[in-house]
Amino acid sequence: MAPSVERSFTAASTLEEAMAARRQGAAVLAGGTWMMRDPLRGVDLPGAVVALHRIPALSKVDIEPDHVVIGAAVTHAVLGRALHGAAGFEGLVAAAEGAANPGIRRIATVGGNLCALDFAAADLAPALLVCEATVELETVEGPKLLGISDFLKDRHALLTEAIVTRIHVRRDLVASAHIRLPLRKAGDYPVAIVSLAVDKDKRCRIAVGSVEPVARRWTALEQAMAAGPASALDPERTAELALEHNDFQGRDGKEVEGWYRRQVLPPLVKRGVAALLKTEGLA
Amino acid sequence: MTVTFQLNGEDCRFHGDPMTPLVDILRQERFLTGTKAVCREGFCGACTVHVDDEAVPSCLRPVGLVQGCAVTTIEGLSSGNQPLHPLQAAFEAADAVQCGMCFPGMVMSLSAFVRDNPHASRPEIKAAMVGNICRCTGYERIVDAVADCLDQARKAGQLVGGIHV
Ligand SMILES: Cc1cc2nc3c(=O)[nH]c(=O)nc-3n(C[C@H](O)[C@H](O)[C@H](O)COP(=O)(O)OP(=O)(O)OC[C@H]3O[C@@H](n4cnc5c(N)ncnc54)[C@H](O)[C@@H]3O)c2cc1C
Ligand code: FES
Ligand code: FES
Repeated sequence: MAPSVERSFTAASTLEEAMAARRQGAAVLAGGTWMMRDPLRGVDLPGAVVALHRIPALSKVDIEPDHVVIGAAVTHAVLGRALHGAAGFEGLVAAAEGAANPGIRRIATVGGNLCALDFAAADLAPALLVCEATVELETVEGPKLLGISDFLKDRHALLTEAIVTRIHVRRDLVASAHIRLPLRKAGDYPVAIVSLAVDKDKRCRIAVGSVEPVARRWTALEQAMAAGPASALDPERTAELALEHNDFQGRDGKEVEGWYRRQVLPPLVKRGVAALLKTEGLA
Repeated sequence: MTVTFQLNGEDCRFHGDPMTPLVDILRQERFLTGTKAVCREGFCGACTVHVDDEAVPSCLRPVGLVQGCAVTTIEGLSSGNQPLHPLQAAFEAADAVQCGMCFPGMVMSLSAFVRDNPHASRPEIKAAMVGNICRCTGYERIVDAVADCLDQARKAGQLVGGIHV
């Protein structure tokens, strides 16, 4: 066991208490499934932490007729159960229910998944990108709302003092899907992830995770698809477009090289469109 | 910092670093060595315990987060002269255990699963085992034993785990 360390540990019961600890330099501790492995990555655990699990408002999913609000401390397991069967959220549910393994999903949180800096393979990032989610942060200046693309791009700077509190998602999707490619059948990090969604205007949104260091929308492919006939959501044709408009720079990793992550995208897109066509909203 | 929680039904008090992984306290302070620390990364499942009745990896659980919780380890599932948990009995009957390294974690994950999913199908049993790696058995015997255990419980009209989980 590690030698006894004087570490400050605050289990905040309100957001104000959590922000006060944050202002004094405490790092946010959510499920700990990322942070507890810091020592294995050669990084010391923070000297002060503030845990969010006792703040009721951050641990619930509110489902309203036109939008959903997800607390940052909601676990993958709870998110999957809460949205199971909700039309349009098939992709987000598949991401929450397919990431990691059951034990991790019971403790790893939505906030932790989006805030683990330098973690490229976060499943919820592309799934929430196609939902065009808004991230709510509590900052020293008060609450702040940001589109998820901007949040993911700027999170290094944003998270020096802030706490992610909630994720807001509109219910404007007809269907969505989440396709991941792990090297084993399940249980390890996905080599590449493709999330897809179709909105009420029949426009297709596509996002890719794990291929580049930060997940992003595949706008080149979305535009190419929008240029074609609106009714033509065809797996083969979309895979051809994906091959033509593949503008990703795959990151090298110990599990696979970058070219491989890039190369698997068209077949994953094909699977994704096939999955979309099987959903209730499009079948 | 002092952290208090229930451990196998008894009060447990820990003084020290709140970021200490629960598995280290179980093994090194409480000598409950049934819980194994193998990968320490959340991948193998050998360290699985129940925290408030949910199966979670104790290597990634800082003890500060279990303040006020009820922790059950493999030793607490069935101890002394009590009958084995039905799942343990099923594994024994099927001679499913080889080196035994993975089994405490396997039993802790699957005992919670059969309690919550008395009608689970074979693919559902396999999905529940994704986080428990076994290097010896090839898994099929374990899946067979879980399926048998559920079958018998259904026939007996009894929910698995209702006995003493
Ligand atoms: C075995 C294993 C397999 C995995 N497989 C996958 C997988 O397939 N897909 C996948 O997506 N992930 C996977 N992961 C990663 C896992 O999803 C992340 O580790 C997890 O989501 C992080 O959540 P957490 O609540 O445990 O975060 P923590 O470890 O508590 O925190 C992670 C980081 O985020 C910060 N943070 C947390 N919450 C907030 C907040 N609300 N505001 C500001 N900062 C915050 C923390 O300070 C820390 O820096 C896996 C992890 C393990 C251990
Ligand atoms: S030791 Fe905890 S999951 Fe392997
Ligand atoms: S019996 Fe040896 S690892 Fe499972």
